[in-house]
Amino acid sequence: MTAATLNTEGQSPKKIQLNTRYMFLIGLIVVASVGFSIANPNFFSIANIGILLRSISVLFLLSMGMTFIMLTGGIDLSVGSNVAFAGGVGVVVLTSTGIPVLGFAAALIAAMAIGFINGFFIGKLKLSAFMVTLATMALARGLALVIYDADSINVTNTTFLWLGGTSIGNFPIVIPFVALVFAALCVVLYKTAYGRDVYAVGSNINTAFLMGRQADRTVVSVYVLTGLLVGIAAIITVGRVSSGQPWAGLYLEFDAITAVILGGTSLFGGRGKLFGTILGVLLYGIIINGLILTGTNPYLQSLIKGLILLGVVLIDTISQRRSAQ
Amino acid sequence: MTNAARLFRENNIIFVTLACCLVFFLISPRFASLDNMSAISRQIVPIGLIALGQFFVVVSGNIDLSMGMASVFFSIVLGVFFGMTGGVAWGIVAVIAGSVAMGVFNGTLVAKLKLPAFIVTLSTLFMATGLSGLIIPRGQQIFLIGPFFRYIGAEKYFGIYASFLFLAALFILAYVVYNHTRIGSYIIAIGNNEENAKLSGINVNAVKIGIFAFSGLCSGLAGIILSARMGFVQPGLDGNGLLMDGIAAIIIGGTLILGGRGTIGGAFWGLIFIGVINNSLNLLNVEDVWHLVFKGVVIIAALAMNWVLWESRQVQTH
Amino acid sequence: MSVKTLAMKTVAATALLATGAMADAHDPLEIVFINDGHVAPYHVAWLTGLEDAIAAYDEAFGGVSGHWLSAEGSLERMIQQVETTINEGPDVMFVNAINTEAFEPLIAQAQEAGIVWVAVHSPMESADYSFTLGDVTNGTNQGLAMCALLPAGSTVGIMLGQAGNPSGEARHEGILNGLSTCEGDIEVVAEQPADWDTVRAQSIAENWLTQFPDLTAISGVTDAYLYPSIAIAQSAGRDIAFFGYDGDVPIMSQMNGGPVMADILLSGTREGWNFVQMAYRIHRGDELEHLYDFFTPLVMTEENHQRALANGFPADVQVYYTDAALEVAEFGYLEFGPDSVQ
Repeated sequence: MTAATLNTEGQSPKKIQLNTRYMFLIGLIVVASVGFSIANPNFFSIANIGILLRSISVLFLLSMGMTFIMLTGGIDLSVGSNVAFAGGVGVVVLTSTGIPVLGFAAALIAAMAIGFINGFFIGKLKLSAFMVTLATMALARGLALVIYDADSINVTNTTFLWLGGTSIGNFPIVIPFVALVFAALCVVLYKTAYGRDVYAVGSNINTAFLMGRQADRTVVSVYVLTGLLVGIAAIITVGRVSSGQPWAGLYLEFDAITAVILGGTSLFGGRGKLFGTILGVLLYGIIINGLILTGTNPYLQSLIKGLILLGVVLIDTISQRRSAQ
Repeated sequence: MTNAARLFRENNIIFVTLACCLVFFLISPRFASLDNMSAISRQIVPIGLIALGQFFVVVSGNIDLSMGMASVFFSIVLGVFFGMTGGVAWGIVAVIAGSVAMGVFNGTLVAKLKLPAFIVTLSTLFMATGLSGLIIPRGQQIFLIGPFFRYIGAEKYFGIYASFLFLAALFILAYVVYNHTRIGSYIIAIGNNEENAKLSGINVNAVKIGIFAFSGLCSGLAGIILSARMGFVQPGLDGNGLLMDGIAAIIIGGTLILGGRGTIGGAFWGLIFIGVINNSLNLLNVEDVWHLVFKGVVIIAALAMNWVLWESRQVQTH
Repeated sequence: MSVKTLAMKTVAATALLATGAMADAHDPLEIVFINDGHVAPYHVAWLTGLEDAIAAYDEAFGGVSGHWLSAEGSLERMIQQVETTINEGPDVMFVNAINTEAFEPLIAQAQEAGIVWVAVHSPMESADYSFTLGDVTNGTNQGLAMCALLPAGSTVGIMLGQAGNPSGEARHEGILNGLSTCEGDIEVVAEQPADWDTVRAQSIAENWLTQFPDLTAISGVTDAYLYPSIAIAQSAGRDIAFFGYDGDVPIMSQMNGGPVMADILLSGTREGWNFVQMAYRIHRGDELEHLYDFFTPLVMTEENHQRALANGFPADVQVYYTDAALEVAEFGYLEFGPDSVQ
């Protein structure tokens, strides 16, 4: 209804809205950065920026996948547990075979398998994304606990640890890697027919149905794509902590959803951009990092997270309604 | 469709629950002991309150993610008042007023400002988590000892826990309201198609705010029960686990998460099912690491079964 | 109630100490404690003790500051917190590592930045110091207490830590060690992990009470399990003996005439104060053991101790009586305050 009206009104008003949103986010990022650097001069040190970017690299990957899913009007609660599950499969295959390539492949395939289960139930059987991924969230975490027998496994293979663990000086190599993934996903989303399908499915499922059976396949594919990104995130996570952890990725799904919503992607599908997600993750990461630097009580951190999420969405809705009038 | 097939289709969760009970009984005869049955009845009360509040929210096509952590928060509100006054009267007044106010807050943002319930209640979830630790001095625990807590936690009538009787009474009340008043049909109409509901003259905003006020109240009541059963309150109880069990109960009971369909009876049997599963995982000494796998599979199986039985009714995701 | 009096007494005590101490401005000392959680009752007391101790030392000597961070169970978050803290350059870092191997590279980084690294609970080879608890010994003492205080033919359920957690497993091993000294007299009828979680402990206690109508005692590897278990047993009208581990004040308060028979006196408050005392001593150049063992006696009532000794409880196990234990657990400055380092 609302999404459909927006579409028929053409591209220009939507673009303007999104642009003011991004300016607003950039403004918030600047305000938060200045605020934290006054509270703690260390905030702007090169080392701290390196730490900040590295710590959010995994969140970047998951949030980009989540953006695709939310553009189709879905949601994925399983990504955090899936990081632990895929990491577990990868590490177990690596330690039993000793061949890093097999470990990589196993992690990616495991993560995509969970993604496919999600996609199949949601895309083909038309079940609720929330419920299906709530179930796979429990399932993937449970399987991770079973694989690891609830204990962590240490990894020493330098090839397997390379992506997540290597830094050149203060500069973690995972950052340019994430930038590359971002560029590739931008091409997929904005320059291909597939990308247009993703938007089409979300803005009006019925129109997309008219285009053929494509809609089903598109929905399945975004969950598999997210699975792939989760697999990469799992490999990075293992590299970062030199071990496989059954509780890795705990609550990351909520962080990713929050970041994507902050970035202006609509929960109802069809509206949003990867660039917004980047800004959302940055803002979220800066706030978390700043709260650590200032030694803020974790309860206060939760309260602040809630207020920021609600505040940003409220201001956004009100300003959109203004500009629509 | 034959009568037997329809009977099964409409009451599948009852058959599944009874089948599970039979299996657990065969594995461990102690499962069917009266003591164990009453232990289950007591364990499901907080989950049941969350499931009941969530039921109306979900039938109206929304979701309330804040219910679990909110009940932890309100258990602490009760504890803090108890710590200050040594009595429960003011605490209960504060919990009821506070929980309804929180629900109205959620409902107003969803109904009037048209914000997605998912985002609104996700942020109240964060806020409730934070406030739980901030209103209690330095995050410490408070003990709740007294006749009121013993009554809620342990009193029995005819061998049945008072708290379970209270829950059952609420379910019956909800059944009457849902099936025999206009409010029930309004909620279903909103869940099916909000625009149409509005056109047919339903005050959609008022109904929605009312629904969230009720789910808020249910969180508050769950908080009171939780605190009485634990005998102490402490921030950081696993409220989200309660939320997940509550949602699972109503979905397993055949409520459509996209709104517009669901029965109170189904929700009740879904709740019993969850209680039986939780209890037997412990009773049968199922190794801890398998609990989550088991729950995940059970929810997926329930979804698949609903799909098979109601396939034609399923429409769109989210 | 007790919280309030505690706060008042602490204020009074620190004021007294402050007037007595020399207020010379030292080289400042900054302490950061990175813990795996902040909500369990033990953690609450621990972090509170640390905060109070930092304030007291600052008042007494000047220039002492610090804060704590909670990783909330997430290894990724803990690594981020450690990296950020190293970049901040405090003087002493206490880290309760979720996984010790994962932090080895960071220890080198911290030492390069001139930060003293104290590994908490699980000892680490490359750390400057390791603050350890003696979990196996403590567990053994709990098991020995069960043997000496429970009648022959008793049945016990043991609630364990999270599967794979080294601290929980060491305590479990100790408890079984202790129980093996009276093999045949006491039967362990159930063992189940409750993941350090009070709600899980509550369900387990409920199920055990129905499953084992003759259950005599419940043993826990943390006092967190006893809060709900005691409430359940009381409301069911069952007479169960409890054996704890942690020295939480509310649990030890239920020893005189109550259902709690024995506990291990760690006490979060004491540990928090001990951290600050240790950091202060490191900072002023005292020589400390690389493996710093936290003094953790067994706690019983005097009456129970006599009874235990008569039943063959070893006389060389150090025991604190309830009142003494409660006092040092509530007022960490008694053992580890600024007075203790003058």
